[in-house]
Amino acid sequence: MDWVFLSELAINGALTGLLYSLFAIGLVLIYKASSVPNLAQGGLTMVGAYVVLALARDVGLPLWLAIPLAAVVMLGLGFGIERVALRRLAGRPVVMILMLTLGLDIFLRGTTLAIWGGTSRSMELGVSYDPLFLGDIFISRIHLVGAGVALALFVAFMLFFRTRTGIKLRAIADDYMASWSVGIAVERGVGLSWALASVVAVAAGVIWGEIQGVDQALSLLLLKGLTVAVLGGLDSILGAVIAGIILGVVENVGADFLDPLVGGGSRELIVAAVLILTVMIRPHGLFGRHDIERV
Amino acid sequence: MQEKVEAQNILSMNSVEVLYDNVMLAIKGVSVQVPKGEMIALLGSNGAGKSTTLKAISGLLKAERGRISRGEITFQGTDITEALAQKRVEMGICHVIEGRRVFEHLTPDENLTAAAPRGMSRSTLNAEKEKIYGYFPRLAERKNSQAGYLSGGEQQMLAIGRALVTQPKLLMLDEPSLGLAPFLVEEIFGILQKINKDEGLSVLLVEQNALAALEIVSQGYLIENGRVVMHGTAEALKSNSDIQEFYLGGGETDFHNVKHYSRRKRWLS
Ligand SMILES: Nc1ncnc2c1ncn2[C@@H]1O[C@H](COP(=O)(O)OP(=O)(O)OP(=O)(O)O)[C@@H](O)[C@H]1O
Ligand SMILES: [Mg+2]
Repeated sequence: MDWVFLSELAINGALTGLLYSLFAIGLVLIYKASSVPNLAQGGLTMVGAYVVLALARDVGLPLWLAIPLAAVVMLGLGFGIERVALRRLAGRPVVMILMLTLGLDIFLRGTTLAIWGGTSRSMELGVSYDPLFLGDIFISRIHLVGAGVALALFVAFMLFFRTRTGIKLRAIADDYMASWSVGIAVERGVGLSWALASVVAVAAGVIWGEIQGVDQALSLLLLKGLTVAVLGGLDSILGAVIAGIILGVVENVGADFLDPLVGGGSRELIVAAVLILTVMIRPHGLFGRHDIERV
Repeated sequence: MQEKVEAQNILSMNSVEVLYDNVMLAIKGVSVQVPKGEMIALLGSNGAGKSTTLKAISGLLKAERGRISRGEITFQGTDITEALAQKRVEMGICHVIEGRRVFEHLTPDENLTAAAPRGMSRSTLNAEKEKIYGYFPRLAERKNSQAGYLSGGEQQMLAIGRALVTQPKLLMLDEPSLGLAPFLVEEIFGILQKINKDEGLSVLLVEQNALAALEIVSQGYLIENGRVVMHGTAEALKSNSDIQEFYLGGGETDFHNVKHYSRRKRWLS
């Protein structure tokens, strides 16, 4: 057993996992307010990356300005989605909202294809690809940066949910009717959760765009992001972070053992197994809220 | 004369009809007046239309695909028949909905914070909270535990406290006594009475527990089948033989049986 190699696999797995968390945090934000997994989160992430590129390449702004501006644009898009599409669905079965998010994802993919085409574009963040060594262990810089962003967002949201607005959002997640009864602007709260998730999508889009290039394939991040969100419990930000690390490590280390046996491709199998087993064995995930039942 | 009566009523509901899903007529021309600073009870059995009446007043009907199809509601002289629920809370109407419905995953303290009106300063909010903890010392003791694990009585207190944070002028409560031990009902009703006296808060109380309700209100309305079938002072209602039979569990049932059937039929028609 090569311990150095194993720790390298584990550490890089954990970093990649935190990038899944970065994506999953957006899913959790929307789930908390609407009780629906947002199937368009992949599409939003892809659009976030395209908007950054449009502002940086097509308009010619520096990246440090293009990224926050893109966040503002996406904030507006998030509010807009609630206003135009979701508000009409208030009170309808959750599965209808789920279908709506699926339709939205397809729509966003089609739109980017129509505007920017299907060729992959690079983000060019300017993060060095020189190897970074921690002792004998090789670490990717962009993964380290992305993991840092994920953790920073995690801390920011933990603090946000203690503010008055954050508490109102959590109240909405608990009970729409009771929220209305004390005058909470439920619709605006749901809009805010979409807006925040859209901003998270910019962060995820930039990091993942740097890693794998910007094209429609970015929207496929949904599959891993959803697995992480489900494992974490769907409505827990802490859960999304820890589940991301777990999935990243299991995937990276597991694939190293399994790939020689099955001849490659075991990563997908591992992710699928984690998703299916979570739903079967622990549907509330690691940190999900149970509905409280008093005896 | 007419104007003077209007001015004294904080809430006036005139011949209101409510339709659910555009077909189901749940209340059929209900008129209820709440004089300023008084406590009024709305009594009636299951499915009579009590909750629907409150939802018509608070604007929560919309969330259940219901709407007012006839009649009007005025609050402090302003027509609110079409106003949004949120607007009505801002104007001073707060509805403590049926079944407690506290924010279970929040602490009691956060439950109170969640109800803070927009723009309420931190110091005002803290003062409101202190006042509410003063009314409900049990809540103060448990303010940082999870609200979902409070006892039924504590949850009801929290639901009332949460409504008080909105600084209502009219507080409407939907069956606050449901499932609570008699001593708790007495405690909560006592506190309501105290708030009513101290702050001049007007209260519209929906109850099936007519016995307890009639002890603290000045007037009561009896609703059956979507219509007001009786209205009078608490004293008059308490001594009314129909109310005694059906709601207070008293009365000489034997030879009244025939008679009460006909009376009941009159209500149903
Ligand atoms: N959301 C709804 N959609 C359709 N019909 C409804 C709805 N809510 C209530 N109703 C109907 O309206 C009528 C009045 O109901 P409401 O809830 O107002 O009665 P209630 O007096 O509060 O009864 P309870 O004491 O059982 O709470 C009932 O026939 C009920 O079935
Ligand atoms: Mg009711």
